[in-house]
Amino acid sequence: MAETRVEPIHTLDEHEPDGAGRSGQRARRWFLLAVVILIVAVPFFRPWIGAYNYVLQLGMIILMWVTMASSWNILGGFTGYISLGHNVFFGIGGYASGLALAYLGISPFLTAPLAGLISMVLGVLIGLITLRTRGPAFIISTIALLLLTHNLVDNWELSGGAAGLSLPFPPLPVEWLKVPFYYGMALCAFGAVWMAHRISHSKFGLGLRALSQDETKAEVAGINTRLYKVSAYALSAFFIGVAGALFGYSLSYLRPTTFFEIGLAAQMVLMCIIGGRATVAGPVIGAILITTVNEFSVVQFGATALNIVVTGGILLITLLFFPLGIVGSLRESGRLPAILDWD
Amino acid sequence: MNILQVLILGLLLGGVYSLMASGLTLLFGVMRVVNLAHAVFMILAAYIAFYLFDLAEVDPVLTIPVTMPVMFLLGVVIYLLIFPRLETSERYVEMTVLLTFALALIVEGLLTFFFTGIFRSTRPEYGTESFFVGDLFIPKGQLVALGVSLVLLIGLWAFLKVTKTGTAIRATMQNRTAAQLVGVNVRRISAISFGVGMALAGAAGSLLSYLFPFFPSRHWQWVAIMLSLIVLGGLGSLKGAVVGAVTLAIAAAFVTDILGPTWSPVTFFLALFLVLMFRPQGLYGKVVRI
Repeated sequence: MAETRVEPIHTLDEHEPDGAGRSGQRARRWFLLAVVILIVAVPFFRPWIGAYNYVLQLGMIILMWVTMASSWNILGGFTGYISLGHNVFFGIGGYASGLALAYLGISPFLTAPLAGLISMVLGVLIGLITLRTRGPAFIISTIALLLLTHNLVDNWELSGGAAGLSLPFPPLPVEWLKVPFYYGMALCAFGAVWMAHRISHSKFGLGLRALSQDETKAEVAGINTRLYKVSAYALSAFFIGVAGALFGYSLSYLRPTTFFEIGLAAQMVLMCIIGGRATVAGPVIGAILITTVNEFSVVQFGATALNIVVTGGILLITLLFFPLGIVGSLRESGRLPAILDWD
Repeated sequence: MNILQVLILGLLLGGVYSLMASGLTLLFGVMRVVNLAHAVFMILAAYIAFYLFDLAEVDPVLTIPVTMPVMFLLGVVIYLLIFPRLETSERYVEMTVLLTFALALIVEGLLTFFFTGIFRSTRPEYGTESFFVGDLFIPKGQLVALGVSLVLLIGLWAFLKVTKTGTAIRATMQNRTAAQLVGVNVRRISAISFGVGMALAGAAGSLLSYLFPFFPSRHWQWVAIMLSLIVLGGLGSLKGAVVGAVTLAIAAAFVTDILGPTWSPVTFFLALFLVLMFRPQGLYGKVVRI
C-alpha cells in the first residue's frame, strides 16, 4: 500500500480543538490498550468464569463477526461497492483449510493464513471480472457468485457435496478446546481492524473514498480505479478467509449451508451499516451489538425464523432513518466520544 | 434425449420464466430498482395458492385472480411506505437494493415462521399428467403454465400499448425526466408499476406452486435466476426479459439433460456471470453509466 500518510478527511474536526484533540488521542490509545489487554486476558480468568467454554465460544463468535464486518467495510464502506455474497470467501477459507486437514492431515491452525491468501488470490481473480460492472449489476454479480459457489460445492464430491465433510477434533482436552480458536479469532479481528485503520489513514483509502463518491471523477483525477477496487476487494477477502478456516475447524464439520447461506452476508451488511459505514469503529460496534442481540434473542426465544425478521427489520429501519449508522450519526452531531473515533 | 424433446421442455418453462422476469425488469425500467424481494413475494403468492388448494381445493391456475390483486395492493403499499422518501437520496440505487434485501429477509423470516421450512407444492391433476405427440413427451402442467403465461404477457403488452397508464409507464421507462416534463405523474406511475410488477410475481407464484416444490428460503435461488434472465435480456427491457427467459430456459433444459437436474441452477448463475463479464448491458439494454 502507498506509504504516504494523508490526513483523513474528517479528523480535521472543528469540534476538537488542538489541546482536546491531543488528550482525546491519548484517551483513545489507553482505551484501545485496555480493550486489547482485556481480550487477551479473558482466557486466564478460568477459575472465576463459570461457563468457561461458553464465554470463550461467545467471545470467539463476536471476534469473528468483528473480522467479517470490518473486512466487508473495506469494500462496502470505503469503496462503496456493496457485496451481498461476501461470505463466499468465508466458505473458501473454511473449505481450503478443512480439505487440507481431511486429506493431508495438516492442522488448520497452520493453514489458516494460507486459506486467507487463497481467498485473496481468488478475490483478485473474481474482482477483475465482477468489478468491471458498477451499481446494481455489481451487486447482482455478488449474489450470483455466492449461489454459483454454493451449487458447485453442493455437487463437489471431494468435499462431501451437500452432505458435508466431518473433520477430526483438535488433539486437546475438552476444557482447553476453545482457547486456540479464541486466540486465533482474536488475531483475525485485530488484523482486520488494524488493516481498516491503516487503509483509512492512507492515500489508498483516500483514493477509495474518492472513487466511492464519483468513480469517473476519481479516474480523471489520476486514480487507477481498477487497481484500487480490485485491491480493496482482495484485501477484504483475506481475513474473512482466515476466519472461515478457524470457524470450520471449530465446528469440526463442513457443510455448504454453514458457509454459503446469504444470511451470513446479510449479517455483515447489517453490522457494518448499523455501526457506521466507512468508519473504522463502526463495524466493530455493529458486530458486538448485533451478535449480542442475536445471542440474547436465541437464549430468550430460541433459534427461530424470527431472527432473520429482526435482522431485516433492523436493517430496514437503520437505512430509512439513520443511514449513517451509530458512529456516523454521532460524528455528524459532534457527540462521538474520542475513544471511539478511530479514523 | 433427442434434441427436439429437450427444446420443447425448455420452451414450455420459458413462459413462466418470462412472467417472472417481466415484473422484475418492469420495476427496473420504471424506477431503476433491482427488487431483491421479488422472488420472496412470488413464494408468498405460492403459499396463498397452496392454502387455497389445500383448504378449499381451488385449482392453482384459478388462484391467479386472487394472488394478482393481493400482490398488486401489497406492491403499491410497499412502494408508498418505502420509496418516495428515497427519491432524493444520493445513493439511490444502492439504498433501494439494500432496502429490498432487508424486505426480502423480513418476508422470508415471516414465511418460515408461519409456514415452516417444509417443501410444499400443490397437486392439481394436470400437474402430473402428460401426453405424447408422436415421440414427443409433453407434460400437461407445463403446457398449461405456458398458456397462462402467454395470456398474461399478451395482457401486459396490451396494457402497456393501449391504455393511457401503460403509455405513461413506457414513457417513464424511456426517460423519467422527460416523462415528468410532459406531465406524467411519475410517482403515481411508479406506484402502479410496482403493483403491476408484483402482480406478475403473484401470478408466477400461483404457477410455481405446482411446477416446482417450494419453501421460503428457496427465493434466493429464484431471485438469482430471475436476475440472470433480465441481465441477459438487458435490465429494463421487456422484450429482453422474454428473450433472456426463453434462451436460458432452453439452455437449462440441455444442461439438465446432459449433466443432471442438480446442475440446472448453475446454468443461470454462470450465464449471469458471463453476461456481466462480456456484455454487461445484455442483449437489448442501454449502456447506462451509474
